[in-house]
Amino acid sequence: MSLAENIVKQFDGTAATGAHRHEALEAFRQLGIPTSRHEEWKYTNIKTKLSESLSLGEVSSEVNAAVKNYIASLPPYAFRIIFLNGVFHPELSIVPDMKGFSFYNLHDLFSAPSTLLDKYYGRLMNYRQEHFAALNTAFVRDGACIHVAKNTIVNDPIYIQYFFTASEAQAFTQTRNLIVVEEGGSLQLAEDFRNASNIPVQYNHVSEMFVGPNANLDVVKLQLEVSNAVGIHTLEAQVERDGAFSAATITFSAPDTGTGRSVIRNNVSARLIGENAHADLNGLYFGKEDAHIDNHILVDHQVPNGTSHQLYKGVLDQEATGVFNGKIFVQPDAQKTNAFQSSKALLLSNSASVNSKPQLEIFADDVKCSHGVAIGQLDEQALFYLESRGITKPEAVQLLTYAFAHEAVERIKIKPVRQFMCDRLKEELKLNF
Amino acid sequence: MLSIRNLNVGIGQKQILKNFNLDIRPGEVHAIMGPNGTGKSTLASTLAGKEDYEVLGGEVLFNGKDLLAMSADERAREGVFLAFQYPVEIPGVSTTNFMKAAVNAKRKHQGLPPLDAKDFLKMMNEKSQLVEIKREFLSRSINEGFSGGEKKRNEIFQMAMLEPQLCLLDETDSGLDIDALRIVANGVNKLRDANRSFLVITHYQRLLNYITPDFVHVMYGGKIVKSGGKELALQLEEKGYDWIKEENTELV
Repeated sequence: MSLAENIVKQFDGTAATGAHRHEALEAFRQLGIPTSRHEEWKYTNIKTKLSESLSLGEVSSEVNAAVKNYIASLPPYAFRIIFLNGVFHPELSIVPDMKGFSFYNLHDLFSAPSTLLDKYYGRLMNYRQEHFAALNTAFVRDGACIHVAKNTIVNDPIYIQYFFTASEAQAFTQTRNLIVVEEGGSLQLAEDFRNASNIPVQYNHVSEMFVGPNANLDVVKLQLEVSNAVGIHTLEAQVERDGAFSAATITFSAPDTGTGRSVIRNNVSARLIGENAHADLNGLYFGKEDAHIDNHILVDHQVPNGTSHQLYKGVLDQEATGVFNGKIFVQPDAQKTNAFQSSKALLLSNSASVNSKPQLEIFADDVKCSHGVAIGQLDEQALFYLESRGITKPEAVQLLTYAFAHEAVERIKIKPVRQFMCDRLKEELKLNF
Repeated sequence: MLSIRNLNVGIGQKQILKNFNLDIRPGEVHAIMGPNGTGKSTLASTLAGKEDYEVLGGEVLFNGKDLLAMSADERAREGVFLAFQYPVEIPGVSTTNFMKAAVNAKRKHQGLPPLDAKDFLKMMNEKSQLVEIKREFLSRSINEGFSGGEKKRNEIFQMAMLEPQLCLLDETDSGLDIDALRIVANGVNKLRDANRSFLVITHYQRLLNYITPDFVHVMYGGKIVKSGGKELALQLEEKGYDWIKEENTELV
């Protein structure tokens, strides 16, 4: 039995039938799991990374010491929505209690008629053509659904924490977010993934995000502590007139305990469907050992006067490999678009490598688009300058790597996360200043 | 303190220093002058440990130790400092953090504990006044967007912070206006003492109006062809380098 057949067989026909489940399953049955023959998965042969006998059933979720310690380390009143192995835990969560802010567990929305789901769910995610969007849509149970009403400003960031505490190594966890910020609203959100167990984890996370007219949504995706993980992330955002969306995707490979399967794939897309909309898609990836980190970015300018900015920085050491694929589409109507993309990767060892591919498809004639790709080593002149002041070579490398990576950290719009990442980067590079 | 014996250095296929000899004792200021392309900067870079330069022969003793056997960072911790002709811009690392790392690397080498934040700040304040550097410069990225004069002042500031025994100044005066030159030279003069020596490399005599050397050497064709006191610099200013070239046609 193939991997895809095994997955399809586990479909629970009695689960909530709405929410496009059957259609998505049918699509997945046709699509299967991609191999490296699929253009979008050319450098990430995901099929060979997933375990043969995946289980999509519910797994027990224990609140272990690692989870407790982490929660204790958060500011006591920080808003947080906590999932263990993909299951929502209300008793661990603190959700803002304010007018205009609503939170639902998707699971509860699935089981009753919901205008929110009808209007938004599955509208951005192409579950008919995307393998993992289809799989997620067919199988997902819990997830965070946040609705920010018109002109509601949510001042404090909300942390959506996904912990893995499973004792089931075959689990393939499906999680999902649906975020809607209505006209003039504002929200900051961190999606944080952590493996709080010693065993390998596999997950497939999908987010759909709707940014209304003149609304603002800042997202940080933190993938810092996902050791031994095969993680697939897909984020689709849509931005209306005068809206602003930002996503910063930060991936640090955590130590692998010998599974040889540490793979993170990020698909981040922003579609600008209203005039004068803006998207900022930034990222930092830091791979060590045999980690593989793949970022696929897409900005789709559909209407005039949109602006977008992409800055990705990668640091790859030891045997780590990276992939950057940055697409910018400028549709025929999208005159006066201003789109910028920069992707830089630093290779710290001879065995590290990166495949970087900018892809600009411009169908309008009055636009400003630029892109730059650079892959290289540290500047020898700068290294010598630091060494000539008595700093050892390894420390000089750390300092310059910090400087290189810090530019991406500075772009994080959620202030406490930016500060945390600054410290985390220093810790990663063993710098103490 | 420094003894250079028959030093031969090349880069690529080309030999630049040819049987170069020089002795510097504690507290002395030596100026090396000479036309462009005679190996002045090669000498400074070789002493500082830049790897592009290949030592073909000879030896360099620094306080009795084999300098050429040390890596660039070891040399710095032992007390050699190079003020760069073209200081490097390093976006993302502040001068403060850079100096914290450098000062503590040296202290570790000397068996001393790292400076605490308060003492470090005090030291920064003191030393930045020597070259009239504003505090805000120190929290900016190293040399990024600095003018030529600011970069050179930053070099002398770093020199003051690291308290080296041997200071190599590689064309520190080039590209400076007269005010900046005065500030830089004043900084250097305040750092002069009986145990600290300077090797001042310059193309022009002007700098030596502000930093008075004990010895002036003229370099040509990869070696010293003439040595004297500070009056030699004045002579060069007046007569140019042509008479040196004429006297040493066989070296080219």
